[in-house]
Amino acid sequence: MNRHLIAALLTTAAFALLAAGCGGDDEEGGGGGGASDGAAACAGTIGVMAPLTGDAAEQGLEQLHFAELAVDRFNQENGTQLKVEQGDTQLDPGQASTVAQQFISNEGILGIVGPAGSSEVEAIGALIERATLAAVSASATGAELTNGDYPTFSRVVPPDSVQGPTDADYIAQQLDAQKVFVIDDQTSYSTGIAESLIESLEEQGVETSRDSVNQDATDFSALVSRIGADIDVVFLPWQLAANAQLFGRQMAEQGKEATIFGSDGLFSPDDFSIDGSYVSSFAPDITQVPDAAEVVEAFRNEYGEFGTFGPPAHAAATVLATAINAACEGGEASREAVVEQIPSTSIEPSILGQPITFTESGDLEGATFFVFQVTDGKFELVEQ
Amino acid sequence: MPPIGVDEWVARSGERTEGHAGPLAPVLRRLERIPPWAWLAIAAGAAALFPLLTDSAFALRVGVNALLLAMLALGLNVVVGWAGLLDLGYIAFYGFGAYAFALVSSDQLGEDGVHLPAWISIPAIMVAAAVLGLLLGLPSRRLVGDYLAIVTLFFGQVFVELVVNLDRVRLPGADEPISLTGGPNGIPGVDPISVLGTEIITPRGYFYLLLVLTVLLMAGLHLLDRSRTGRAWRAVREDALAASFMTIPVNGVKLMAFAFGAAIAALAGSVFAAVQAGVFPQSFETPFLILIYAALILGGAGSIAGAVLGAVVVSVTLELLRDPDQASVLFYGVVLLTLVARLRPWKLLAAVLGATVALGLVTHGAAGAISPDLTAGEPALGGWTGGALDAWLVLPENAATAGNWAFVALVCGVLATTLLAPRLRPLAIVPLVYVAAFAWEARLVGQPAITRQLLLGALLVVMMTWRAHGLLGSRRVEVL
Amino acid sequence: MDFFVQQVVNGLTLGGVYALIALGYSLVYGVLKLLNFAHGDVYMVGAFIGFGVLTAFGGPASLAAPVPLVLLAMFVAAALGSGVLGVVIERFAYRPLRDATRIAPLITALGVSFFLQNAVLLLLGADVRTYDTSAFIPVTTAVDVGPLSISLVRILVIVAAAALMVALARLVGRTKLGRAMRAVAFDREAAQMMGVDIDRTIVATFFIGSALAGVAGVLVGLVFLQVSHLMGFIAGLKGFTAAVIGGIGSVPGAMLGGLLIGMAESFTAAYISSTFQNLIVFGILITVMLVRPVGLLGTPELNKV
Repeated sequence: MNRHLIAALLTTAAFALLAAGCGGDDEEGGGGGGASDGAAACAGTIGVMAPLTGDAAEQGLEQLHFAELAVDRFNQENGTQLKVEQGDTQLDPGQASTVAQQFISNEGILGIVGPAGSSEVEAIGALIERATLAAVSASATGAELTNGDYPTFSRVVPPDSVQGPTDADYIAQQLDAQKVFVIDDQTSYSTGIAESLIESLEEQGVETSRDSVNQDATDFSALVSRIGADIDVVFLPWQLAANAQLFGRQMAEQGKEATIFGSDGLFSPDDFSIDGSYVSSFAPDITQVPDAAEVVEAFRNEYGEFGTFGPPAHAAATVLATAINAACEGGEASREAVVEQIPSTSIEPSILGQPITFTESGDLEGATFFVFQVTDGKFELVEQ
Repeated sequence: MPPIGVDEWVARSGERTEGHAGPLAPVLRRLERIPPWAWLAIAAGAAALFPLLTDSAFALRVGVNALLLAMLALGLNVVVGWAGLLDLGYIAFYGFGAYAFALVSSDQLGEDGVHLPAWISIPAIMVAAAVLGLLLGLPSRRLVGDYLAIVTLFFGQVFVELVVNLDRVRLPGADEPISLTGGPNGIPGVDPISVLGTEIITPRGYFYLLLVLTVLLMAGLHLLDRSRTGRAWRAVREDALAASFMTIPVNGVKLMAFAFGAAIAALAGSVFAAVQAGVFPQSFETPFLILIYAALILGGAGSIAGAVLGAVVVSVTLELLRDPDQASVLFYGVVLLTLVARLRPWKLLAAVLGATVALGLVTHGAAGAISPDLTAGEPALGGWTGGALDAWLVLPENAATAGNWAFVALVCGVLATTLLAPRLRPLAIVPLVYVAAFAWEARLVGQPAITRQLLLGALLVVMMTWRAHGLLGSRRVEVL
Repeated sequence: MDFFVQQVVNGLTLGGVYALIALGYSLVYGVLKLLNFAHGDVYMVGAFIGFGVLTAFGGPASLAAPVPLVLLAMFVAAALGSGVLGVVIERFAYRPLRDATRIAPLITALGVSFFLQNAVLLLLGADVRTYDTSAFIPVTTAVDVGPLSISLVRILVIVAAAALMVALARLVGRTKLGRAMRAVAFDREAAQMMGVDIDRTIVATFFIGSALAGVAGVLVGLVFLQVSHLMGFIAGLKGFTAAVIGGIGSVPGAMLGGLLIGMAESFTAAYISSTFQNLIVFGILITVMLVRPVGLLGTPELNKV
């Protein structure tokens, strides 16, 4: 008993020493092989906030991996020593707030890729403004996020207020639809686009009806059977392309002939391949973009297939890395300098197939949506 | 087998004599004489010092989260620990409190919104939540505990769905649908809480507010525990039928437990809404419920101090696990402590540790000889411990797949080791530690998000199978 | 009218799956008085095993063996795999707690469920796996029943679920093991004194219940195409509710409960709105609990003093 106690105490003491000695200090520059020649290589950390577990883990992990890939390539091309640190938010604004505080407290972090959800941006906007920490999101599309409330926030994807009208125009004019059935998946991404679309459609005199499903739902048969014969287009602004695939299959099963039109969440050739449907995306298919070929191959080799949420994270990370590099003096950059650099950062060519520059409010300049049609399982551009 | 006795005092006599052996006995006896009030004051004082020791907003935010979890655990303790009712929809009351507060403290309702001061709205919300708890408890009248679990679980699920879908509510006579709960976007722009005229907007401020609330809550619950209601709860928990014969109104008592738990959760929810300056539906999903249960179970269901301790430990541990460096320290520390605690004669402990180190060095040497690629990777820890690990562990560069296999092997190995005879266990433990370290470095440390959740689930299982009464709970006794 | 019948078919398909999951819950509750929250995750693992077998045979597009053989292999593998997993969970997570309070194993079950979900996330990644059934059973292969054509896959699900339920009913009603299960469910101590091997009976019960869940997982994959690490939670919840509505501990009750919920969901989505599916099911649950707390076909638990 006695010796036992002593042993336990000793272990605890050793433990405490360990914690004191190792926990907490950031090691700048990787161990071994550090370049310490005349011009000090720019070092810093980029924090990635994404849902790494939970319902949206698939998209979040994709974003993380693309961001890591981007930083690796940037380091190789520019001789910098930038690192990536991850923060799991589970798309929960409360956790996003905690992770944001963690990143803010970590002085090595000079910029954030993310957060992934619009509500999360609202939760951390004031925090990162106070800390002068830049955040570049790859998937937060809420229209009001760039209305000036969050000056350190920018994004490489166009907001819902662009996607909605673009899709509405195509549906009303090119597809000549009279009645459209809109089904959202109860996420803020989905309802944002749905509302924007419905507003635009109704202005053009198209009749709309609306319903919503839970993302967890696996059976849409009953909902499908409600699609009347007079419905021309079914609009699915969903995040999970696989769900839409199932929906389409069940439509075919029940002989429904309406055309499916999806938002960029459905842009995933592996998961969604209903012939004759349309999908809109803010970027041309990056697998067709010549500048992105290397990245596509590198990602596929290491991680497998990807959908539409990942590549913008690559772009966002590249933007941050470029800004940090530009703001670097003597191997270090300050957060304020990075925030100042971002508005003037321009990435050309980018893997998204269009040059990346920012407007004053932090939105992507010249953002447009491209409409694709699924033919024979492949996505083909039909309109610019 | 739980200890047996003709009544509780007799059954617990073993515990009383147990504590009075060994070198620490005089200290323990002194400690036992300190009244709970003094303990509370000491703990509160120590906690109050915490914000003064650190400037990091992150640490303060973790503190705030820990206190919120502590309040929730205290409320759950009333329902689960004292009354013995299994409430799996508890988080819905938390959400109710948060949303109710948000609705009356933001621009959501009406033109400029309703902005009630907190000292009016919070008590009203607590009462409303208590009523809601009563309503939810009503079907439990004729239900055995398990049915209650199902009903409450479903209620919890349905609450989130309701909240997400109430953003297009058509009121009779209105043209446009109104958004009651903001749907999936939640309600942003919630007012902060003002105390005595000053608004609280910093994490430090909320930490102190929550500290005061938690201390008051703990004191109140302590008094409740010693009152007739507390005794009634204990009686109903142990044997509802006997309690009813003793003229305890079993249903009324159960409903009271529900109501109390709900009110406490609503209080926590309201403060949460103010801290976040907004409410979002994603905060009230099932993983968080599991967190509250983990905190309560770890600390000891039925014990007030246990609930708070469990909440603090769980919160801090989970945050530490976000950072791979600190997570590694925690991991290796836990492994070492487990070995120290479970391997009794300390010659055995020394032998096992020595064997593990030897095994590692030999394997590392052999692997290095076969191919330098096999040891090219680096452990997550920095400093000299990292260096020592590097020389001990075989770690290739991209070991994710091997790490997966190691993880599966680890789980199977741990399960198998519990089946072995005690004499053979040390033999199995040696390679198992090595495999654990490998699985950690190769796979788990690179996925801190998933590792946290895994550890949470494992914590629940291990705690219940090994020490169901938690750290500060009292063992269940069988009264014959 | 067609519309109505279509919903009936939808409801039967969904209901069949829920019933299979509910059966597992009911069986385990009967013998152990334990609500096994990890059951939904066992179902999820079964679905993944089925997917693994499908891929091993060459993937949905190019199967190396005839379709019925592949299907059989998937079912058997999933049943065995899930069954073994269920037995392991019982042995290590529930057996030590057999004499503890009622709450203890429930919480352990929550922990096991959480652990399983995240272990699958860690080992297999977050990507949703697609069965892509139409590659080997074309969607348009249908059987015409009157004015309606029902796809073959749905018929498969309904028939398989029905067959398994019949088999289970015979097992519980006619065999020695079934009698042992009923005896243990009625009074564990007395059964023990009568020479029934409690541990073996419980293990067998878990195996059967989990195997059923595994098969349900494969069926769901075939009809609804997707398999992800989170699918267990909501399906488990629904199966759970079905078991309770029908009367937990009762085999025909679980079947009835499953069908009822399946129908309710289909009809709600079809005639009202799919937003309210879960709310309506909850409403049914509450109503049944208030009116007949033991469930529709359950037997009141006698309180022995």
